[in-house]
Amino acid sequence: MSFEWPWQYNFPPFFTLQPNVDTRQKQLAAWCSLVLSYCRHRKLYTLDVMEAQESPVFNNKKIARKLSMEAIQVVFEELRKKGNLEWMDKNKTRCLVMWRRPEEWGKLIYQWVSKNGMVNSVFTLYELSNGDDTENEEFHGLEEWMLLRSLQALQTEGKAEIITMDDGKGVKFF
Amino acid sequence: MHRRGVGAGAIAKKKLAEMSKQLETFKTHLEEFASKHKQEIRKNSQFRVQFQEMCATIGVDPLASGKGFWSEMLGVGDFYYELGVQIIEVCLALKHRNGGLITLDELHQRVLKGRGKFAQDVSQDDLVRAIKKLKAMGNGFGMIPVGGSYLVQSVPAELNMDHTVVLQLAEKKGYVTVMEIKDSLKWERERACHVLDHLLKEGLAWLDSQADGEPQYWLPALFSELSSRDVTPEEANQMTP
Repeated sequence: MSFEWPWQYNFPPFFTLQPNVDTRQKQLAAWCSLVLSYCRHRKLYTLDVMEAQESPVFNNKKIARKLSMEAIQVVFEELRKKGNLEWMDKNKTRCLVMWRRPEEWGKLIYQWVSKNGMVNSVFTLYELSNGDDTENEEFHGLEEWMLLRSLQALQTEGKAEIITMDDGKGVKFF
Repeated sequence: MHRRGVGAGAIAKKKLAEMSKQLETFKTHLEEFASKHKQEIRKNSQFRVQFQEMCATIGVDPLASGKGFWSEMLGVGDFYYELGVQIIEVCLALKHRNGGLITLDELHQRVLKGRGKFAQDVSQDDLVRAIKKLKAMGNGFGMIPVGGSYLVQSVPAELNMDHTVVLQLAEKKGYVTVMEIKDSLKWERERACHVLDHLLKEGLAWLDSQADGEPQYWLPALFSELSSRDVTPEEANQMTP
């Protein structure tokens, strides 16, 4: 399924940080929305800032407009404030993009587990994210760091326990 | 002795009485006509135009008062009142995008869409009349003539002649620059900048500083790609109350 760009994407001024405060607020909200939906569509969990500048999200070749590095940082800061982004390094060159929060992932995983009557079973992390059984699930392909956080969220809710096994981590669902 | 009764005064009185009677008769005929064609008025926009023009000729405004004889009997008032409400709804839903400025074409498109397949026909003339009514009621509505049609303003942004004329200039391409304003309108740079700053401030225009040459000021209201896009749930969530 191809990605549907919002109307702002083809609107040249969208790529200029707006001087008017109210307009800027709308603009940033739209950018945050766009970045999250794009990452969700492409199943991207991390972004490298340098690479991002050249990605279609921030660089619309068709209308010859791109978001400046400064503006990208402003958008990322907005996402960080909203809890959808985390910097992986102090220099802010790479970030984790959480287009779905850990709690939301945890809920999806638990739903799948209980729907298939597999409560009380033990899974390795790999089985969950890359196993044949989960191929049609949204959390298939979830990166390990995100999977762990989601399971930790479930753990806090008493729905799961993360266990350490010989060759890695696993989880038991309750 | 000075004679009374027959003189200029009496003749005038008689004439007035005659005219009054004729007007009364005429009014009755018009009422009968209206009552007979009430259905037609509701369903047929062409008919409405002709009816309105006829009323205007004799100095009757069917929309003058919501409780009036005309609007009650004909339902003309109801029709335009309902249309006015629809117009307000469309403008409110899109204000977030275009700052409260929308082309009459887009407004027409969206009103028709909102009315569904089996609804009555609504023409641009109907919209214009309904908007004039809204304007008279002080809803912040206004119409700015641009490129052969109108831009409908639905927020009380202060737009004076200078702003209006720049909007008209922007209508062709959807954007305008300081240079274009200076060339076309022969204004000083400061005057042009002042107007553009105001449009930015009112949320009617966005700045594009990556254009070839000098910065361009774009109006979402005139961005053709936008007119066919529905408001997404995300946009709806972003709207300030």
